[in-house]
Amino acid sequence: MADASVIVAQVIFGLIRGILLGCVFALIALGLNLVWGIAKVVNIAHGELVMLGAYGAYFLNLFLGFNPLLTAPIDAALGLAAGLGFYFAILHRELRGKEAITLQSEMVTLVATFGLSLAISNLANIAFTGNFVGIPFDAGSIEIGFLQIPLAGIYVAVLSVVIISLTHVLLNRTYLGNAIRAYSQDIPAAKLMGINPTAVAAIGTGLAFAVTMAGGAFLTTLFPTGINPYMGALYAPISYVIVVLGGPGRMWGSLVGGLTLGIVIDVGQIFLGVEIAYAVAFLLLIPVLLLRPEGILR
Amino acid sequence: MNFGRLLRSAPTLWGLAGFLVVLAVWGPWIPTFVLTLLINLLLFASLAYSMNFIAGLTGYVSFGHVVFMGTGAYAWGYVVGTFGWHPLAGIVAGAAVGLVLALGIGSVALRFRGVYFAIATLVTALAARNIILVIPALGDGQGIILNLGFEPLTWFYTIWVILGIQVGLTYWVTHGRIGYGLRAIKSDEDAAKALGVDAARLKLFVFAFSGLFAGAAGALNVWTLSGVFPEPAFDLLFSLQMLAMVIIGGMGTLLGPLLGAVAVYLPHNYFLTVAVGAEFIVIGILVTFFALVVPQGIVGALRRYVPTLRGIIE
Repeated sequence: MADASVIVAQVIFGLIRGILLGCVFALIALGLNLVWGIAKVVNIAHGELVMLGAYGAYFLNLFLGFNPLLTAPIDAALGLAAGLGFYFAILHRELRGKEAITLQSEMVTLVATFGLSLAISNLANIAFTGNFVGIPFDAGSIEIGFLQIPLAGIYVAVLSVVIISLTHVLLNRTYLGNAIRAYSQDIPAAKLMGINPTAVAAIGTGLAFAVTMAGGAFLTTLFPTGINPYMGALYAPISYVIVVLGGPGRMWGSLVGGLTLGIVIDVGQIFLGVEIAYAVAFLLLIPVLLLRPEGILR
Repeated sequence: MNFGRLLRSAPTLWGLAGFLVVLAVWGPWIPTFVLTLLINLLLFASLAYSMNFIAGLTGYVSFGHVVFMGTGAYAWGYVVGTFGWHPLAGIVAGAAVGLVLALGIGSVALRFRGVYFAIATLVTALAARNIILVIPALGDGQGIILNLGFEPLTWFYTIWVILGIQVGLTYWVTHGRIGYGLRAIKSDEDAAKALGVDAARLKLFVFAFSGLFAGAAGALNVWTLSGVFPEPAFDLLFSLQMLAMVIIGGMGTLLGPLLGAVAVYLPHNYFLTVAVGAEFIVIGILVTFFALVVPQGIVGALRRYVPTLRGIIE
């Protein structure tokens, strides 16, 4: 058994890393949360978007030498376009003209996005090959006593929190945000107030995809060699757990859920090993669904 | 007994029975290469019928069905490797473990509806895989290596029996009181409960069958692979393919899972030699297409657009 001070140091380091990771997880989950909260669509292809965002950052860095932090806005623009395309190609068929989104519609979009996820990840496997790649990016680190904290991690964590805050402001303080929230609460009433449901749902989906792909770009700085066509298979379930933890439709909930999961995974690893830490993080979902189906916030 | 009337009363069931009998009689003369393909096709069909019990009959989409396959596989590997049981007895053990686990998971997860059930089953499967990886008795994540030899004919008849039981059970469950209850749950669970359908019990009943057969099929799958390894046993792609087969074939139908199995197995087998993973592009696009355009699946679409088939296939 290692002596106590080593364990304390490990826990403090795990906590800090967990918080940094949790902020980026929260940003990724925010993308899922937006589609889930606005259009009642649980996007199973969410993990594939994270993967595409990460590859976007990788290729921009490889061919144009972009800093991974600078690739995030470009990724977000691509995500916006992809989200609008996705809405009109897939969701519009199912959601068009609906007064309320029923369980049946939810299942149709769930299955449709599941098919997409299977197709996209395997298409990426052929296009990008299955090798793990990464972006060499070192922004230096700060030292506090014995702790060495990578600056890149702090940058992406701060940027993630800023984006989450901006989304919160957008949803609560602007006309568009009010329209989006009105749509998610009551479609017929929103229409009576002169809101175009198609436009609102499409913009919401585009916004969600933009945020997700930016999150994928940020993730590349935390995992130096973690880009792989199948990485989505890990980040999608993590995002589901985060959204359920925070409550679908609550943007701050994503941040709370993300931090919880980041800390559980990074501190849990020290005592339980990687496998069990992830298993605990995944299974957190079950008691939350049983005891607080609205999310842990309230 | 008027044979003609019996035949007319359930043409799909008799058609499937005829198909199985032909396979059984032909069995010993099938060339080995074709036999291995058929074993895999029947395995896929068996997985599809297993998923059909829960996703097809109640509309509860499970993304984590591979958890039953994986635990069934590990149960098989453990009793055969450690206690020296006969592999066939191991299949029964795999089925029993699948059943018990389904009762356990089902009694919690079946309380969640729609997407919550899908997500709860998905994370359960991921967590179960991670837990199995660190259990020393189950090979510490290295797997259990068993070299039992190549016995295609035994495998063939084993999966044949499993599939036969599943087809019979699907018919029995859909044609009777239970079937009415399940259809009521699928279209509106609250209304069904209000009318006195014991939804929780019925759902658990079909989920238990689903787990039992997935466990048995998972055990047989690793028997053909001569060993239990965590990655292939808990490959999430199995869950996804099971779901794809049921969606393509037709949710809750008797013939659908078999058609879906063929539709998924053909690209699977074709692309194996062309490009690894390409089959999932085809399957994924098919699933998206069916979900949005033909939600009833092949069988439902045939019944809808070809009136003469309406009384024949189900």
